Amino acid sequence: MKNYLSFVAEAFVNTLKGLWVTLKVMFLPTITVQYPTEKMVPYPRFRGMLAYDAEACIACGMCVRACPSKCIALAKAAPAPVPAAVEGQPPAPAVRSGPKIEWYTIDYGRCNFCGLCEESCPTKPVKALWHSLDYEAVFSTREEMTRRWKRGDTLWGTARGSADGQFAPVADQIHIQDVPVRK
Amino acid sequence: MTTEETILTKISEPVFNHANGRLLMPEERYWPSRKWKSPWSLPAYRSGAALLAGILSGAVLAAWLIGEIPLRLAPLYSLAEQYALSYGVPLFLFHLAWTVIKAALLLAVPLVNALFAVWWERKVSAHIQSRLGPMYVGRFQGCLQTVADGLKLFLKEDIVPDCADKLVHLLAPVVVVIPAILVFAPVPFGRELIYADLDIGTVYVFAVGGVSVMGIIMAGWASGNKFSLLGGLRSAAQLVSYELPRTFAVIPIIMLAGTLNISAIAGLQAGYWGGILPRWFIFYPVVGQVAFIVFLIASVAETNRVPFDIPEAESELVAGFNTEYSGMKFALFFLSEFAYVLLSCLLMAAFFFGGGEPPLPFLGFLPSWAWFLAKTLTLMFCFLWFRWTFPRFRVDRLMDFNWKFLLPVSLLNIAAAGLLIWLIS
Repeated sequence: MKNYLSFVAEAFVNTLKGLWVTLKVMFLPTITVQYPTEKMVPYPRFRGMLAYDAEACIACGMCVRACPSKCIALAKAAPAPVPAAVEGQPPAPAVRSGPKIEWYTIDYGRCNFCGLCEESCPTKPVKALWHSLDYEAVFSTREEMTRRWKRGDTLWGTARGSADGQFAPVADQIHIQDVPVRK
Repeated sequence: MTTEETILTKISEPVFNHANGRLLMPEERYWPSRKWKSPWSLPAYRSGAALLAGILSGAVLAAWLIGEIPLRLAPLYSLAEQYALSYGVPLFLFHLAWTVIKAALLLAVPLVNALFAVWWERKVSAHIQSRLGPMYVGRFQGCLQTVADGLKLFLKEDIVPDCADKLVHLLAPVVVVIPAILVFAPVPFGRELIYADLDIGTVYVFAVGGVSVMGIIMAGWASGNKFSLLGGLRSAAQLVSYELPRTFAVIPIIMLAGTLNISAIAGLQAGYWGGILPRWFIFYPVVGQVAFIVFLIASVAETNRVPFDIPEAESELVAGFNTEYSGMKFALFFLSEFAYVLLSCLLMAAFFFGGGEPPLPFLGFLPSWAWFLAKTLTLMFCFLWFRWTFPRFRVDRLMDFNWKFLLPVSLLNIAAAGLLIWLIS
């Protein structure tokens, strides 16, 4: 009888404990992120979509070699013609000016976001290729997955549009740090 | 730094985010990598608390302005009567029309209750699980979500299985839902706010409420499905068993009150002991509390809700007797479930919490229906709270719990009530 009563009392107390836990949690902040209107900012070393700076790139091809899935390709720009030597003067040094890249492509269909390309990029002080914090990328065809950069393109590059198949600047690529974060 | 650079450079130094006016520190991470320290530092949390306080104070103000509903309706009634008589409408026709209006209002109670309670349940369950629940429909916290779901249920195909007993399959939701509406007739919603002031109100409520079991068995049988049949039979066993402690829990109250009239029982609890402790039946030593707990547990079981949702245990029986029902037929089962939840809460508020009596003397400025509603909603919250806290009983333990614990306790409680009455007198 005593055992039974203590069992009942224990069960009652444990029931109240469980209720207290759920009540407490109910008044704590929720963890849901209302995704389209609220977006989480990833941590600083997050490897998101690749950003590429055509001005800073020296077309050394280190990233092409570093890439384990062979998704990067590039073409060097043709060297600027050396000016003709003038009589009585030493010949001008063959210094190239401006971007050294003809085109540069990344195939996101094969990219595994390992970050080795960024690691291998030798340019100083700013790397020419780096992972941004952006995680919102949607592709509807395989052709769209290839991003192409040429001189003067933005950091997001161009991609084939699903409608006409022509290269066009990547539209509405979100800037993740500008998105209102969870309050 | 231009905006674009700010965006694209990896954060190695603090970055000011113009969008939300916050400084993003290098090592800063948003949830889930960082635990919430103080919830009050979150603007959304503070605004939510302010919103709740605002809703509460607005409701108090509205209740105070509206006042007692019977007092407001009496002049309206006499005016309508005069108007009808001046046009030569027979008096019995007028009374008939008035009764129809009252019946329509009564019919609206379970419907509106289901609309509200489903939304509320979804919000409560979401917050208990650290989610948000419906947020989009209706702009404010997804408050029109139930309306949208109801529309969806209206448009859904009404599927009747091939091997179903067609007529019984059709009748089952009707048999479930009609008692669920009829049962509200003798239940008070405040002082003198009652459809039919029956002297045997308590008996009527339990008798009519018991008819719904029939519909559930019909649903289980007519579906032509072993899971439905099992669900229906389990439901019958459970409802019939828990009917006993539920009724026995009320007997001490009836003994103390000396009447079966629900509004009279509620009215008897007016006044205060020592000017502070209300004379509610739950404050009668031991007897009141035990009766309340037994009644609460048995009510949760009667409404087929978790932790007693054996009839529709989804991990064992798909959805029990609901399995073969779709569209509005399913909605009717749902409606009756929430109608019975509301009924249980109204009964508990009337039997144990003094109906429309304020808990403290100085709070009497609010009308009785507001207190009744507040108590009912608080108890209803308990139902939702239990549902999202406790795991389901096993079938045999469910029966053990009823026959070996609740029933003896409620019987002992009746004896204790007799002792209490003898001591008082």
